[in-house]
Amino acid sequence: MSDPTRPGGSPPEPPRSRGPGRGPASEVVASFLVNGEAVRALVPATRTLLEFLRDELGLTGTKHGCDLGDCGACTVLVDGVPRLACLTLVAELEGAAVTTVEGLAADGRLSPIQDALDRHGAAQCGYCTPGIAVNLTALLAEEPHPDDAAIREVLGSNICRCTGYTRILDAAREVAGGGQ
Amino acid sequence: MLPLPRFAWQAPDTLHGLLDAAARPGARILAGGTDLLPSMKHRLHRPSLLVSARRLPELAAIYEDGDDLCIGAFATLRAVRRHPVVRAELPALADACATVATPTIQAMGTLGGNLCLDTRCAFYNQPEGWRQALGGCLKADGDVCHVARKGAGCYAAHSADTVPVLWLLGARARIAGRRGTREVPVSELYDGADGRRWLRLEPGEVLTHVLVPRRGAPVVHHKVRLRASIDYAALLVAVRREGSGARAVISAVGPAPVEVRAARAEELPDLAHARVKPLGTHVVSTAWRRHMVRVAVRRALDACPVP
Ligand SMILES: Cc1cc2nc3c(=O)[nH]c(=O)nc-3n(C[C@H](O)[C@H](O)[C@H](O)COP(=O)(O)OP(=O)(O)OC[C@H]3O[C@@H](n4cnc5c(N)ncnc54)[C@H](O)[C@@H]3O)c2cc1C
Ligand code: SF4
Ligand code: FES
Ligand code: FES
Repeated sequence: MSDPTRPGGSPPEPPRSRGPGRGPASEVVASFLVNGEAVRALVPATRTLLEFLRDELGLTGTKHGCDLGDCGACTVLVDGVPRLACLTLVAELEGAAVTTVEGLAADGRLSPIQDALDRHGAAQCGYCTPGIAVNLTALLAEEPHPDDAAIREVLGSNICRCTGYTRILDAAREVAGGGQ
Repeated sequence: MLPLPRFAWQAPDTLHGLLDAAARPGARILAGGTDLLPSMKHRLHRPSLLVSARRLPELAAIYEDGDDLCIGAFATLRAVRRHPVVRAELPALADACATVATPTIQAMGTLGGNLCLDTRCAFYNQPEGWRQALGGCLKADGDVCHVARKGAGCYAAHSADTVPVLWLLGARARIAGRRGTREVPVSELYDGADGRRWLRLEPGEVLTHVLVPRRGAPVVHHKVRLRASIDYAALLVAVRREGSGARAVISAVGPAPVEVRAARAEELPDLAHARVKPLGTHVVSTAWRRHMVRVAVRRALDACPVP
């Protein structure tokens, strides 16, 4: 019942002040960017961004953990700000720019924080890793040299059941300290 | 996968349209969704219409309005916490926003949503099947309270981190409905008699702004929880010294926060301990939470500058 989604199709329409959504709708249309590509979604109003990314766009890097806001595995960026995809309705995304973990690498090369997480062995089962990479990306974009307290506060958004966080912290500290 | 129950969605582009939509039967306001959507996934609420304010950015604005800071109800906790006036003049409000859940959830959740946060209980905020195994409870799908079997109502706990601080700062909630706009002190927004009817909003009314007086004695926010991140409060305390006396607002203990006053500040911890009796709505030991009332009030007072 949901479709058609056409990544790479027509560019997103600007947010319309008098467009769809003026009356109650159980099917909604939203045009937005996912990792720079235009997407037009026609979905039930109940569709979450997490379901849409994984099941309709096949972007399975964003993980499905608790589905309730507790774990952070589904963290993506919306207009550069971290958000939980499991608690975000596609209906709310008209005009937004979504970045998932698949959008962090550029020209086939891992981003600095992805590379550091990899080299520090910061992933065990790896389920938390995409959410953590996305969250640390937002922190470092805003504050290139965060102190330990700032890194720890941000990591409080993501549950890692395996690593004890030590190597994740080491990776974040390395990127945060770079150039200082 | 926890699918959402069926609903329609609407994002009006005028306040009038928002109030009309909110007044429809079965409608609910969708702000950040960080309280509402998990509850809907647990089938605690089944609204037929979610009304979004995303086309009304003016309801998310924060601006100085004379002696008040006027905070749009749909401003995120992150925006409130980072606002220069909040940081410089209302640090307790910044502290309270900073203890809500996690930074990611603060970037989604709104101040208005925090003021309207549903009351919480260890027997209520659970998956549907979990609750059904117990036959439900008064607040959802059942007819007994597992916290106080002989009690007359529901004791689910008010757990909104920003409310004790806003209460002591003398903040007011501006509420709009189809019949007009009214202003209520945050201290009068809640009813402690029953955890099913704790919020004094009429059906269809929408909280539009929170007005926070910028002057006055400092307030201190103190949250007791198990982990330093994400957990809801086991106990919430805010205190303010006034002359030689002091006031505390204590929450996470019942359907509404409780205010305790002491003519001499040093008596406040004992008075609070005598007055406030947490119930078994929380997974954390009730006896420990009771003990912590005195400790938390004393710690907050110690951190509160003497005028
Ligand atoms: C894992 C997790 C941990 C959390 N921990 C905490 C915590 O420690 N402390 C805490 O205080 N909260 C916590 N929360 C709850 C929540 O994130 C915050 O309370 C947040 O401020 C709620 O705002 P919202 O915009 O997301 O509300 P929503 O979920 O959008 O709305 C909440 C309720 O208020 C109603 N509502 C919202 N805005 C208005 C309005 N303007 N007028 C009328 N009704 C309105 C909605 O209809 C709904 O019933 C947590 C949530 C999660 C998922
Ligand atoms: S206090 Fe009792 S009625 Fe209320 S939510 Fe808890 S168990 Fe249910
Ligand atoms: S899946 Fe979204 S927070 Fe756990
Ligand atoms: S590596 Fe397994 S949860 Fe973090």
